[in-house]
Amino acid sequence: MTMKSKRFEALAARPVKKDGFVKEWPEVGLIAMNNPGDPTPSLVVENGCVVELDGKKRADFDMLDTFIANYAIRLEKAQEYMAMDSLEIANMLVDINVPRDVVVDITTSITPAKIVDVLNKMTVLEMMMAQNKMRARLMPSNQCHVTNVKDNMTQIAADAAEAAIRGFDEMETTVGIARYAPFNALAIMVGANTGRPGILTQCAVEEATELDLGMRGYTAYAETISVYGTEPVFMDGDDTPYSKAFLASSYASRGLKMRFTSGSGSEVQMGYAEGKSMLYLEARCLYITKGAGVQGSQNGSVSCIGVPAGVPGGIREVLAENLLAACLDLECASSNDQTFTHSDLRRVARSLMQMVPGTDYICSGYSSVPNYDNMFAGSNWDAEDYDDWNVIQRDLKIDAGLQPITEEALVAARAKGARAMQVIFRELGLPEISDAEVEAATYANGSQDMPDRDVVADLKAAEELLARGVTAVDFIKALDKGGMKDVADAIFKIQLQKVAGDYLHTASKLSPDFECISAVNYPNNYTGVCTGYQISDERWAQIQDIPWAVDPESV
Amino acid sequence: MTQEQMLEQIVKQVMSSMGGAVSAPAGSAGTVTAADYPIGDKKPELIKSATGKGLKELTIDKLLSGELKPEDLRIRPETLELQAQVAESVKRGTFALNLRRAAELIAVPDARLLEIYNAMRPYKSTKDELVAIADELKTKYNAPISASLVAEAADVYYARKRSKEFI
Repeated sequence: MTMKSKRFEALAARPVKKDGFVKEWPEVGLIAMNNPGDPTPSLVVENGCVVELDGKKRADFDMLDTFIANYAIRLEKAQEYMAMDSLEIANMLVDINVPRDVVVDITTSITPAKIVDVLNKMTVLEMMMAQNKMRARLMPSNQCHVTNVKDNMTQIAADAAEAAIRGFDEMETTVGIARYAPFNALAIMVGANTGRPGILTQCAVEEATELDLGMRGYTAYAETISVYGTEPVFMDGDDTPYSKAFLASSYASRGLKMRFTSGSGSEVQMGYAEGKSMLYLEARCLYITKGAGVQGSQNGSVSCIGVPAGVPGGIREVLAENLLAACLDLECASSNDQTFTHSDLRRVARSLMQMVPGTDYICSGYSSVPNYDNMFAGSNWDAEDYDDWNVIQRDLKIDAGLQPITEEALVAARAKGARAMQVIFRELGLPEISDAEVEAATYANGSQDMPDRDVVADLKAAEELLARGVTAVDFIKALDKGGMKDVADAIFKIQLQKVAGDYLHTASKLSPDFECISAVNYPNNYTGVCTGYQISDERWAQIQDIPWAVDPESV
Repeated sequence: MTQEQMLEQIVKQVMSSMGGAVSAPAGSAGTVTAADYPIGDKKPELIKSATGKGLKELTIDKLLSGELKPEDLRIRPETLELQAQVAESVKRGTFALNLRRAAELIAVPDARLLEIYNAMRPYKSTKDELVAIADELKTKYNAPISASLVAEAADVYYARKRSKEFI
């Protein structure tokens, strides 16, 4: 019998060996970037109308080409910029002496194949430099998931309150059982704004339901509005660029912020990649987002991350996608969500691409709960990684949106979030949240630490809540009546944002005193070393202050 | 009952409980740029609710005393027009266009808005049905920009065999 290498045996047992890898197969689109099968950039405009796009005549356009040609490219200087060498544009992206707006003028005036040709030339290091400059908002931020297997609303509120003091500016929930949606949406909104006023929250459910929850004031924004890079996959998703554009306007008409979602790998996974690279198809998604007039995108493969992660250069491609969104002047919530690897080393390496340069929302989102409670199929980062994330920020002196907290602060925040739910349920005559449940949520790590609820009674009550037309106005009154005036005030001010509409703009978030911070009033102004977003002394003190660090003065 | 029907029914119930939001008459509220942003902080006098109440009149005390209703917390077309102007001033033209479509769609009731969205999904409507929706948006709701999007969809879906005729 042949001898076996003990070294190979040791390596075979490593977590990374459990991950799936595949060799490139360009014909079916199993290729990240640099695909010879991608179209050659071209643009012909006659009388203000695009008659040829990336090698295709208008007569041969599919629905996506038509939409992109009609809406997504700024034509004023398009011919001039299309004639530029892609290498020159790539260099401008990296060059600290070329400001963002000069680059954006070019990158919003060229075709999908052209921008892909630009990005194909860049290394990850160059793309990270470009990402640092091209991010729409001056300062980066972060978003988290708040869910649990039991759909326990008290736990959602407690986890959201904790996540708020840890630093997340946006939070997203979803459901195990669809009919829990109103309670989960309410819980994340109230819990988050108990922790720190001014947090935007959403509930990811079916498109029409999501809009309905927003109209009633249960949510402040939406992001799970999916777009795809080929026509057949779009049709499988039961939508078109036109229906999604109409939906986008519907959201804004009710004063609700929204972004589209897309990501590489979805087309090849659904078997209709048309032999194109993942980056080219994602470029089409982002041009549709741009053409629909949506302010931003959640992208970076998102829930299909296993596909690009399995092919050579896949994580480079994910970074290229995020950068592409920024190049189109879109807000970018840069994924770093779904689990894709068994290897702790790989999951950190993947996220450093966005953590170091910073994006508008680095994760979309970070799981604020243990892995078993994440109802988005697990995240690359979860509650058990909080200290690792904080230490990585401290090690590198980067601001990736979070800060360490003390156990006392955690307990206080969770208790208040849970109590706010108890108050609302009591005042609105919903099934009781007991003191024991509030206490369990206060000290819980996950839903395994929570008592079971009467699910049948909850679902009946959730349905009735919608049927009797309960809106955010009723939540505010309930909180006030229950003595939680500060929380009532925070929820009220979230609703006021929908009247003023300032937060509809690119890359918005709200400060604790409800200043709307977006790419309009805080644009990224990076032009070299010591410019752009700088970590203040105060912020640096916050980032470095891990409670378990030894204080030399006390030794 | 399908989920869609249930949703519609629920939306109708909500609307009836709200007593129907009334939009303030359309008109210009001024001209703004990024320098006036956030408008809610810098030019609050330009912002009014769908019911015509000034932003400064929208207080939690009034809400608690029952003076404010859910429709007082809805955006009005003039505000979206102002935000579209801000977007244009920072060269976000397609975003501004979206906000202008949105300004038009405020007048469309929630349930009808969801119906139109569903009608625009692939294979859900014939070309003629989409053309009829475009006409409705134009004539009934005075929404020409949104109407042209739907009219274009009618042509494109038919040409790509993605309308109901081709099931």
